[in-house]
Amino acid sequence: MDGLDLLKKNWKKQEDNLPHLSYDDIYKMLWKKSSSIVKWIFIISIIEFLLGTLLSIVLADKEYWQQMETLHLKKFMIFAEAVSYPITLYFIYRFYRNYRKISSTDSASKLMKDILKTRKTVKFYIAYVLISIAIITMVSIYILMHYHVLEVNANEASKYVFDTVDWIKMIAILSIALILLLGVIWLFYKLLYGILLKRLNRNYKELKNLDV
Amino acid sequence: MNKDLEHQFVTNLEKHQNIAHKICRIYTNDQASHNDLFQEITIQLWKAYPKFRGDAKFSTWMYRVALNTAITLYRKKKRGIQTQDYDTVHFKIKAEEYDDEAEQQIKLMYDAIKELNDIEKALVFLYLEDKNYREISETLGISEVNARVKMNRVKTKLRTILNP
Repeated sequence: MDGLDLLKKNWKKQEDNLPHLSYDDIYKMLWKKSSSIVKWIFIISIIEFLLGTLLSIVLADKEYWQQMETLHLKKFMIFAEAVSYPITLYFIYRFYRNYRKISSTDSASKLMKDILKTRKTVKFYIAYVLISIAIITMVSIYILMHYHVLEVNANEASKYVFDTVDWIKMIAILSIALILLLGVIWLFYKLLYGILLKRLNRNYKELKNLDV
Repeated sequence: MNKDLEHQFVTNLEKHQNIAHKICRIYTNDQASHNDLFQEITIQLWKAYPKFRGDAKFSTWMYRVALNTAITLYRKKKRGIQTQDYDTVHFKIKAEEYDDEAEQQIKLMYDAIKELNDIEKALVFLYLEDKNYREISETLGISEVNARVKMNRVKTKLRTILNP
């Protein structure tokens, strides 16, 4: 007998050995897709955090802190880090909570709410990163200028006196530089989380369509 | 949320889940991939369910969507599945029911099927499911003549794999 026909003859019999999923097992599967996206958001946030920490450990050696010291930035930098770590950890915790919540959800309406919540958390997180970078940069520049003016004045003040136009020019240049920097960082995050958020949004829309 | 639709869908799928499991058996080699494919099929079916009008039988519709899912998924992965990884536990055949020779032959047949491409696997699956050429052509969206020709080619290919 041909092998294929032999298999066909026995094909029906092997149905007894097939796995059997319960109603609940299948029901839960319907919502698994969003949970894997949210899991990725959580994983990416951790990777980002670890990379950031690693980078600051590698870059912030003794020399770096000495430089900060001479620029009078050391205290502020330590303060900024002390504040930013707990906040970042808090966001990671929130991402984790979102992930746990979505993977255990068993109703569509709750899932929709959780998706919206996750999107909100991500947006808050990106806003936090941008705002904190802006604040840190502005304060650093202020401190630099402040001490610079003090030290220069002690020597030959007359040479370096800024008039109003000079100040406006400088502030304008610094502002543009800062905006560019923030723009680049924003684009980076948009790319990093944007794709995931888009997919999440698509799931949300699908769920909403089923609702009608 | 339309709870009725949800309930209807899950009930239907629970009843007809064997179709999906059998497709997984043809397309995957281990339990983990089996579960992944099953889940993907479930999601695709659920996404397509609002368009399922009920003018066809649920099982007929399910054959089409589930096979398309498997074909698309494994086309993307190209030939990512290695036949030698094949797990024999995957289709336990009750030894007492068959003589050794037949059992051996069935096993070899499974191995040969794993070497087919995604479309060929679909054809074999529908053949094993005892579908006629009209049903095969409708499920795969090809003409009846084409289905017949392709099926013959697959049979020849399997024979060549088994008797090189």
